[in-house]
Amino acid sequence: MIEIPNLNYNLVRKFIVEFIKEEVFSNNFKNGVIGISGGIDSALVSYLAVEALGNKNVYGLIMPYKLSSKASAEDAVMISKTLKINYEIIDISDISDSYFKLIPDIEKLRIGNFLSRIRMSILFDKARENDAIVLGSSNKSELMLGYSTWYGDMAAGIYPIGDLYKTQVFEISRHMRIPDKIVEKEPTADLWPGQRDEDELGATYKELDQIMYQYIDERKTEEEIVSLGFNKKTVLNALRRIYGTQFKRTPPPTAKFSSRTLGIDFLYPHDIGK
Amino acid sequence: MKFNFAIAQINPKLGDLKENLKKHIDVIQQAKESLAEIVVFPELSLSGYCLRDLTMEVAIEKDDKFFNPIFKLSNNIDIVFGFVEKGKDKKIYNSAMYISNGKIVHVHRKIYLPTHGMFEELRFMSRGSEVKAFETRFGKVTILICRDFFHPSLLFLAYAQDTDFVIVPSNMPLRGLNGQRPGIQETVEKAADTYVNFFAHFVVYVNRVGFDDGLGFYGGSFIESPSGAKSASADLLKEQLKVGVVDTEDIYRKRQIFPLSREEDLNIVYKNLEKIMEER
Repeated sequence: MIEIPNLNYNLVRKFIVEFIKEEVFSNNFKNGVIGISGGIDSALVSYLAVEALGNKNVYGLIMPYKLSSKASAEDAVMISKTLKINYEIIDISDISDSYFKLIPDIEKLRIGNFLSRIRMSILFDKARENDAIVLGSSNKSELMLGYSTWYGDMAAGIYPIGDLYKTQVFEISRHMRIPDKIVEKEPTADLWPGQRDEDELGATYKELDQIMYQYIDERKTEEEIVSLGFNKKTVLNALRRIYGTQFKRTPPPTAKFSSRTLGIDFLYPHDIGK
Repeated sequence: MKFNFAIAQINPKLGDLKENLKKHIDVIQQAKESLAEIVVFPELSLSGYCLRDLTMEVAIEKDDKFFNPIFKLSNNIDIVFGFVEKGKDKKIYNSAMYISNGKIVHVHRKIYLPTHGMFEELRFMSRGSEVKAFETRFGKVTILICRDFFHPSLLFLAYAQDTDFVIVPSNMPLRGLNGQRPGIQETVEKAADTYVNFFAHFVVYVNRVGFDDGLGFYGGSFIESPSGAKSASADLLKEQLKVGVVDTEDIYRKRQIFPLSREEDLNIVYKNLEKIMEER
C-alpha cells in the first residue's frame, strides 16, 4: 500500500494562516468563531486561528448536549484556556430536548444531525454577535466521504483545513504541538455515547485517506487502487461514500429558465472586491 | 549596462480597479525611490485573477484614460502591469502592457489560456497570437504571461528575436506542499534555469500573492540572469517590492561562452516545422 506523501507542515501552516488572515480581514472582519468540541479538528483550527488573528479575536463556542462526553467539554475548555481565547459554554440540552420530546423513538442519526444543526445556528448567531466569520473545522476526509451533517458541522464561512486529510490533520497537529491528549484521542463525532468515526466508516482513516489520495489526488481508477494492495471492499466503500454525498458539496440545483441563474451561469467569484 | 530592476509582488483586490490603481501608484513611487528604472507587476495586477463574470465588467481598452495616473509616473521608470483588455476587435484578452515615457511600448496578449481543473480562462477571454520582442532602453524585451512560460515554443520565439529580457507576469496558484518548496515553484524555477542557460536571456518572473476564492498565489518572484544567478528574489506569500541590479553584460558573456545563438539556424527550424505542419 502506498502512504500519502508527507507534507511540509511548516509551509502548510504558514499557508493556512495567511488564508485565514486574508479571508477574515478582506471581508472587513477581525474575529473568528469556532465551535470547539474537544476533538483534534477544531483544536487545530483554533491554533491556526490564534496565529492568524490573535487570541483576543478568536471566540470558542463549547456546546455540549447532555449525552456528550464530559471529557470532550473539559478538553475544549483546556484548549480555550491554553490558547487564552474568549470562550463560552452553551449547553444545548434544553433547546434540543424541547424538539426531541415531540418525537417518540427518534433514531440516533436524526438526533446527531439535529444537534449538529443546533450548534450551527448558535455558531452563526454568535458570529453575528461578535462580528466574526465562522471558521469551519471540516477536514478533507470527512468532506470527501460526506461524513458530516449537511448544513450542520459543514456550515462555515471558510474551511481552513478542508484540504487536509485526517491523517495529515494528526501530523500537522503534532507539528504544532497541540497537546498529546487531544492528538491521541479516538476520533468521534460525539453525537451519542461510544460513537467512533472508524466504526461508522468501516475502515481506518489511514486506509481511507490512502485510498482517497490515490483516487482524488492521483486520479487512479478503482482497479488501479485495488491492484496497489488495498482491500476491494474498502475501496468500494470509499468511492460509494464520495459519489453518494456529492449533493452535500454542491449548491442545490436550480430549475433554470432565465438567462442567468444562480449556480449555473451567474458566475461571480466568492471573493468579489476582496 | 547596469540598472536597478524592480519586481512588485502584490496582492490585488478582486475586481476593484480603483483600489488596485492606487496600489500601483504607491508601489511605482516606492520603486522610484529605490532608484529602479523599471518595475514589473504580476498578471492581471489591476483586476485580480478569479474574475469569472466580472471579466467583462473590468475590461478596459489599452488607451483608456483610467491608466493616465500610471502613464504620468512613467517618465523616469518603465512600467509593466497586467489588465483585462477590451480589444478594439471587441474581444477580451488577458494582457500585459509595457509603458515608458507616457507611451505604450507594447501590449502582450496571453496566448495559452489554461482551461482545465481550477482554470477557466478560455471561458471568459480570447487568445492572443503574437510573441513579439520589442525594443526598450534596456534591450529587447519579450513579455509572456504565466502559462505562456510553460510552453518552450514561445520562449524559442523570443530567443529567435534576440530577446534580452523575458518578462513573465504571473498568477500562479500554489499546489504541492510535499517538499522544501511548493511543487509549482520548483516547476517554474527549473523551467527558468533551463531557459536562461540555453537561451541566454534574463527571466523576470513576477508572481502575485494573496487568495482568490481559495486559490493561494505563492509569490516567490525573481530575476534570473543568463548565468543562473538571481539578482532579486521575493519571499513566499508576502507582498514585497524587490529591487535587483541587472547587468546586460551577463547576456553578452553567456552568449560568447556558450554560443548557441551563433550556431542556431532558423532555416532548419523553419523548414522542419513547415514539413511537420504539412504532414500533420
